[in-house]
Amino acid sequence: MLRLYAIHDHAITIEFSQEISEDANMDAIEMQHAIESSPFKGFIECVPAYASLTVYFNEKISALDVRAQLMEFYASQSENVKSGTTKNNKQTIIIPVCYDPALGVDLPWVSNHLNLSEEKIIALHSSIAYRVYMIGFIPGFPYMGTLPQQLELPRKQTPSMKIPMGSVAIAGKQTGIYPAEVPGGWHVIGRTPLKMFDKTKEPCCFLKAGDLVQFKSISLEAFNQYS
Amino acid sequence: MSSVQDLGRWGVQQFGVPIGGAMDVVSASIANRICNNEDGDALLECTLHGTEILFNKTTLFAIAGGGAYATVNGQPISFYKLIKVVAGSTLKLHPGPFGCRSYVAFAGGLKIETELGSASTYTQSSIGGYHGKNLEAGIVLELKHQIHHLEKSKDIVVNEHGFGISNWKSKSFNLPHVQETATINCLAGPEWDAFDEKSQHQLFNNTFTVSAQSNRMGFRLEGPLLSLKEKSEMVSTAVTRGIIQVTNQGNPIVLMADAQTIGGYPRIGRVCSNDISLLAQCRPGQKIMFKEVGGLYTN
Repeated sequence: MLRLYAIHDHAITIEFSQEISEDANMDAIEMQHAIESSPFKGFIECVPAYASLTVYFNEKISALDVRAQLMEFYASQSENVKSGTTKNNKQTIIIPVCYDPALGVDLPWVSNHLNLSEEKIIALHSSIAYRVYMIGFIPGFPYMGTLPQQLELPRKQTPSMKIPMGSVAIAGKQTGIYPAEVPGGWHVIGRTPLKMFDKTKEPCCFLKAGDLVQFKSISLEAFNQYS
Repeated sequence: MSSVQDLGRWGVQQFGVPIGGAMDVVSASIANRICNNEDGDALLECTLHGTEILFNKTTLFAIAGGGAYATVNGQPISFYKLIKVVAGSTLKLHPGPFGCRSYVAFAGGLKIETELGSASTYTQSSIGGYHGKNLEAGIVLELKHQIHHLEKSKDIVVNEHGFGISNWKSKSFNLPHVQETATINCLAGPEWDAFDEKSQHQLFNNTFTVSAQSNRMGFRLEGPLLSLKEKSEMVSTAVTRGIIQVTNQGNPIVLMADAQTIGGYPRIGRVCSNDISLLAQCRPGQKIMFKEVGGLYTN
């Protein structure tokens, strides 16, 4: 059920679902595109999340008018869905990952814990394309899903103090990439040589919500050649 | 502690970059306006006392906010005044009785390279400000424009201590003034209904204390623990400054300027946007009380 609520006098969230769902995330990102391509007076920015879109605006428009605008966008979006004019054919972005345990330091533990060989884990993790649901927690961290069921496991009991930049990790039904060296509780199974966040680039973020990502296994030699 | 701030970094929250900027946007804007700057010009945010600024050139500046009392060359000066100092003068912030953050604006504005559209310092990711970090002794900052004269500085007479204060007075405005127990206007948050009745009652009928573990990301509050009717995991969604989220242990945290863009804790309330500046002036140990001003759909 659709729910609208304020999180600030100048920010309203449209919640499409109370669960993580690909459909709700698609709705959120589609609405983001619609708003960004014909922004209303006072619009500042959109923040998509798993199943919601939050819209920030300035004092040039009232919150009531923003609500009305959002309902209009939603109505025309529903029309598009009915008439099948929404566009969801996206290119898949290939991200090279070195799964060598020298970089994917938790791979042996994960292998043990899941009772799957390291090769099987790598094959499963790089077997499908993942949807980027949102970027968050820190600049440039993509929350991606849905992980093959065999790879599901809870977060670490005690988070690691330092996870290296580029680490590809899994937790629950999700996989992500650490864009900087930070503490974290996900299991690191590999590392990408690609930079997920660069404040000097436009856009600053390698991925955005709605992107499709497939991992491609590369050797340690190939990884080292990147830098 | 001091850092370069402005009114925040907008447009990149979808990439996980917080808005940041001045914690107390009201005081920051007032300081800039006294100097005839734009509201969004880069200035210094000084938390409590300790900051010392040596002026290498004759400069016009103003301080707004709280948390310190200020001297120039050892002589006390007022906040909310346009002040001229000659080269070689020192502005010093000493322990003050109330408030937490003072904003020092310089006529002409600080010359700071913007990153992702803002000069605000976001230390967690080393973005903006002076090389992405808080200021340290020895750092030299420049101004965009050296402005020695403004219409309202005409009457300034530089005294024997090397500074002068304009008689110009701003029209009356409500200065953020922190009482012994600060009253913070607040609305029910998106997950208000998920909290048990006792917790709902406690939010508005108890005092909370700003904990020492508070920072630019959020203010952790000490007081009664708040709990949900039943344990449930929330799907992460956007959060922003003013949101009162409750951790699994039951401690409320009010998100502030450097709040992360997305969070997964239930949100029992949100501080009225106008009162976030007042809250920003609450130092660790300060008592606050939330006052309910309306329902969930007030907006």
